[in-house]
Amino acid sequence: MCQLRGTFKLMQRFFRSVTLCITLISLFGCQTLHKRNSLYQQFGGQAKIEHVIDAFILRIGANSQIIHYFSDSNISHFRAGFINHMCALLEGPCEYNGDSMVQIHTGMNINERDFNLVVELFINVMTDAHIPYQIQNKVLAKLAPLRSKIIEI
Amino acid sequence: MFVTRTVIILCFISLTAAHVCAKTLQITDQNGQPLQGAVVEIEHDIAMAADTTIAVMDQVGKRFSPRLLTINKGQAVRFPNSDDIRHHVYSFSKTKPFELKLYAGTPKAPINFEQSGIVVLGCNIHDSMVGYIYVADSQSVYVSNALGNIELPDFTQRYTVWHERQARDISERIEFNWPIRQRHQKIIITTSVPLPRNTFGEVFKEHHGH
Ligand code: HEM
Ligand code: HEM
Repeated sequence: MCQLRGTFKLMQRFFRSVTLCITLISLFGCQTLHKRNSLYQQFGGQAKIEHVIDAFILRIGANSQIIHYFSDSNISHFRAGFINHMCALLEGPCEYNGDSMVQIHTGMNINERDFNLVVELFINVMTDAHIPYQIQNKVLAKLAPLRSKIIEI
Repeated sequence: MFVTRTVIILCFISLTAAHVCAKTLQITDQNGQPLQGAVVEIEHDIAMAADTTIAVMDQVGKRFSPRLLTINKGQAVRFPNSDDIRHHVYSFSKTKPFELKLYAGTPKAPINFEQSGIVVLGCNIHDSMVGYIYVADSQSVYVSNALGNIELPDFTQRYTVWHERQARDISERIEFNWPIRQRHQKIIITTSVPLPRNTFGEVFKEHHGH
C-alpha cells in the first residue's frame, strides 16, 4: 500500500517536470534552455578550438623571442593540455584535468613583455580563424584573470 | 751491461703489469666509433654484500642527471628536482613501471627497484628528457669511457653488454664470453639512430632566427 502510494507520487512528480519542461520550451525555445549558447559554442566548438591551438603552436614555434620557454616541451602534451584547458575555460563539455596554471608556469619567470606577446599571438590566430571580435573579447576576458597565476612566478 | 739491465728491468715491469693489470675490453659501434656509456655486467657466483645506499636521479636543466644510473637489484632511488619547474617523470619499462609528478620544492619518497633489468625514463612534459636506470643482478658492473674502453677484473668469463642506442631491443643484455688466455678483447655493438623528439625545439629547428 505504502509502496504503491510512493510510486504514484514519483510518477506525479515525473509528469509535473515533463509539463514544466514543455512549458519552458514553448516560452523560451531550446537555445536558452541549455548551454547551446555557451562561449564554447559561440567560439565554434571543439573543432575550432583545435584548429586555433594548432595555429598557435606554429606561431610559438616560429617566434624567436619566446621559443626558449618551449624548446624542451612536448608538443602533443602541450596541445592536449591547452585544448582541454581552453574547452573548460569556455564552459564547454570538458573538465580540466591538468596541472594548475601556477604549477605549470612556476619557475619559468615569464616577464610582462613575453606574456603580452603570447596573448598577441593568440589574438592573431583567433583573427585568422575568423572568430568575431566580440567573441575574442569574451575569450580574452576569461584569460585575463589568469595573468597573475602565470607571470613572474 | 747497461742494455741488458734495462731489458731485464723492462721485462720485470711488463711482467708485473701483466699480472696486476686487468683485462681490457674495447667496444665500438658498427662504424668503428668508440661506444661510450656501454654497461658491462660480469656474471659470477661470488656473493657480495648488497648495496643499500639510496641512489639519486636528479632533474637538472630539463635533463636527467646522471643520464645513466647503475644500481643493484633491491636498491632504492630518490628523484629530487633541482629544477624549479615541474616534471612528470615516468617509466613504461616492464622492469619497473611508475609515474612521479615532481613540483618545485615538494620531494617524493624514493622508489625501490626489486627487479633487475633496464628502466627507460621519460618526462611527459619535456620530451627531450631521456634517462636510464640499469638495475644489475651482480655487483660487478662497469661503464665504458669515452674511448669505449673498460678495465675488467681477471676473473671475467661470461659477461653481458647493454647500450642505450643498441639496435637490439632496449631491454636486452647481449651475452659474450671472454676468449681464453687473452688480455684484450674487441667487440662491436650495432647501434641505431635515436628517433627525433617531439619538442618545440626539434620540430621547429629550421625556423629559428626569423
Ligand atoms: C526542443 C528543444 C530542444 C532541442 C532541439 C535540444 C537539442 C539538443 C541537442 C542537439 C543536444 C546535443 C548537444 C551537443 O552535445 O552538441 C542537447 C543536449 C542537451 N540538452 Fe537539449 N534540446 C532541447 C531541449 C532541452 C531541454 C528542455 C532540456 C532540459 C530541461 C535539455 C537538456 C539538455 C542537456 C542536459 C543536454 C546535454 C548537454 C551537454 O551536451 O553537455 N534540452 N539538446
Ligand atoms: C593566459 C595565458 C596562458 C594560459 C591560459 C596558459 C595555459 C597553459 C596550459 C593549460 C598549459 C599546459 C599544457 C600541458 O598540459 O602540457 C601550458 C603550458 C605551457 N605554458 Fe602556458 N599559458 C599561458 C601563458 C603562457 C606564457 C605567456 C608562456 C611563456 C611565454 C607560457 C609557457 C608555457 C610553456 C613553456 C608550457 C609548456 C609546458 C611546460 O613546459 O611545462 N604560457 N600553458
